[in-house]
Amino acid sequence: MANLNTDSIKNRTYDAIVIGSGISGGWAAKELTGKGLKTLVLERGRDVKHITDYPTTFKNPWEFQHRGQVPLEITQANPIISRCYAFREDAMHFFVKDQEHPYVQDKPFDWIRGYQVGGKSLLWARHTQRWSDFDFEGPARDGFAVDWPIRYKDVAPWYSYVEKFAGISGNKDGLPELPDGDFLPPMELNCVEKYFREQVKSQYADRHVIISRCAHLTEPQAIHHQQGRGKCQNRVLCQRGCPYGGYFSSNASTLPWAAKTGYLTLRPQAVVQSIIYDDRQGKATGVRIIDAETKEAIEFYAPIIFVNAAAINTNLILLNSTSNRFPNGLGNDSGVLGKYVAFHNYRARVSGSYDGFLDTTIDGRRPTSGYIPRFRNVFKQETDFLRGYAAGFSAGRGQYQSRNGLGTELKANLLNPVLSNWNVGSHMMGETIPKETNQVSLDTKLQDEWGIPQLRFSIGYDDNDERMVKDYLEQISEMFTKAGFQNIKTSDSKQAPGLDIHEMGGARMGKDPKTSILNGWNQVHACKNVFVTDGACMTSTSTQNPSLTYMALTARAVDYAVQEQKRRNL
Amino acid sequence: MKRRAALKSLVLTVGGTIYLPAWANNWNLDTIPEKQNGFVSPDQESLLAEIVETIIPATDTPGAKDLGVHLFILTMLADCYDKSAQTRFLTGLAELDKKVKDNYNQSFVACTPAQCLAVLKDCEEAAKLLPPAKEPFFPFLKSMTIQGYLNSEYVMRDVYKYELVPARYNGCFPVPVSAKK
Repeated sequence: MANLNTDSIKNRTYDAIVIGSGISGGWAAKELTGKGLKTLVLERGRDVKHITDYPTTFKNPWEFQHRGQVPLEITQANPIISRCYAFREDAMHFFVKDQEHPYVQDKPFDWIRGYQVGGKSLLWARHTQRWSDFDFEGPARDGFAVDWPIRYKDVAPWYSYVEKFAGISGNKDGLPELPDGDFLPPMELNCVEKYFREQVKSQYADRHVIISRCAHLTEPQAIHHQQGRGKCQNRVLCQRGCPYGGYFSSNASTLPWAAKTGYLTLRPQAVVQSIIYDDRQGKATGVRIIDAETKEAIEFYAPIIFVNAAAINTNLILLNSTSNRFPNGLGNDSGVLGKYVAFHNYRARVSGSYDGFLDTTIDGRRPTSGYIPRFRNVFKQETDFLRGYAAGFSAGRGQYQSRNGLGTELKANLLNPVLSNWNVGSHMMGETIPKETNQVSLDTKLQDEWGIPQLRFSIGYDDNDERMVKDYLEQISEMFTKAGFQNIKTSDSKQAPGLDIHEMGGARMGKDPKTSILNGWNQVHACKNVFVTDGACMTSTSTQNPSLTYMALTARAVDYAVQEQKRRNL
Repeated sequence: MKRRAALKSLVLTVGGTIYLPAWANNWNLDTIPEKQNGFVSPDQESLLAEIVETIIPATDTPGAKDLGVHLFILTMLADCYDKSAQTRFLTGLAELDKKVKDNYNQSFVACTPAQCLAVLKDCEEAAKLLPPAKEPFFPFLKSMTIQGYLNSEYVMRDVYKYELVPARYNGCFPVPVSAKK
């Protein structure tokens, strides 16, 4: 009996455990297995295998019963997830249902989740801009949150490392606020976007319009072919899963790569309840899961644990991992765990039209857009709000049909579309300031189906955000006006935080264990063998889409963890 | 081997009906009560078919009836609209039917194409006098007919040349002569 027990424990013991299989968990799995560590990846959702589990990927629009629209019964039962732009008939199977995964909203928060192998890496918008020191030095310069324990030079080589493997397309723009990377050839700005770029350049010394850097294979290299991935085919149906592996996802890239080493064990349907802390050894020894289907509690053991459950769920797991040593959550000596959560402000949009370039149009499709890097308060404070915003920018020409008449007259109208003038549009990506009051905590009574406490959200906008929205609308309108665009319209959706799907923080990095959870290596200050490298680690948010930075921080942290283990420091 | 498995899956999905794996059935309409059954009578379905055909008739190219636009409308009504929209639609259909019988002493289905068109033109003019808040029947029906027609396989593929896999982006493409107005 004792032997059986020992065997059972041995069978549940690995060299490393990764919690989560999304964009950062996939990287942790690839790096750990690549260094020869037997790695267990725990994923709370079902398995999604590359290509075979993309059921809609080859469907034509007319093959969808409702032509893309989500049936009323589903939207009524799932109001939160229905607000997400990608929740459409072709991809709704990659999102969670509201009632199955409840949470408490002390303030409205649209928590958008994809519980499956690959997580939201199947669904992301794939923009991949590097951070610069204007971002890492932000909190120290402007006096909010805490100083980042790292600078651009610490991450730069890791940006290159992940860019080469993931395949990032982009143009070398030479901008200090948006460092260049190791790029595949850029996608192309269209003629109106190029026109706007030139107009902006001639009127503003510090504002730039570029093609967004994005995780698409524009010219696959040997390393991408080795992953079984091919060139992006410009379908712009990415949210269904790409059969060509044209964009980066855990499913297409890091997970199969990790599996090839023979060191990967992937366990779907594993809802992590907590990380096990051993008071005697003074470190974490494993992870306790609840099987999503059988509800059985199972423990797995490993000397290294990476937490990559996605920002908010990582906070939940740490808060729920209590012990004598950590009564308020793993590593939470400072009391800041779950606090200083921030996000990106995506509320504002500006649109317009342009009556030039009427002899040209667009042929084909492009899975990314133009990008305007942050130009406010970059080099010095110059407005009545802190920090700034980046902006998306794109132009296109629609076809429309006259809907006048009935019978043959109407039919002729419908079969003879007319090209509209060029439409232009921009959306805001604002940095928000992490605050102690923007936080998540465990509800003391409510639990989910797996007996895990529900999260309470208290996250909102502040005056800084309001002033920034106003400035964005004014500045982009002015830029559109100076470029000669017409019919300029501004809007503020007032959407709740969360719908940006860029939630960050709660287990922030910092130099001082008294005010942060993680050190400069994403290592829990007070529990050295646990690393957090997803969005939860973020000290501030910058304006750039965050996923590329999670990838780089993950690869860097794994490298450090394995070195530290060799030095017997874990 | 992996490549072969991948290719095999391509063939399966491109070839014909796509079979969703069990988990996808969570979101499949098979698990939703089939409201469409009994939603309209066979007579109402035939009536709707003739109405959409009058709105967009067959010429040297297929009309709305051939493209199944009436069935699309019924599916959308059953699955994507609430009870009150469904009731308004059925009421509108019944009123139209009655109006035709009063005026022509026969059903819409038995009318000549010219009579059908005249009836619908009357409906369209009458609806213009109603405030949009009333959500009048005919503009809704016309809009749904246009949506179904423009999103049909025939129009998307053969007329508008939809490409599933464009494999290109040209952002400064000369406007084809045919599209210039």
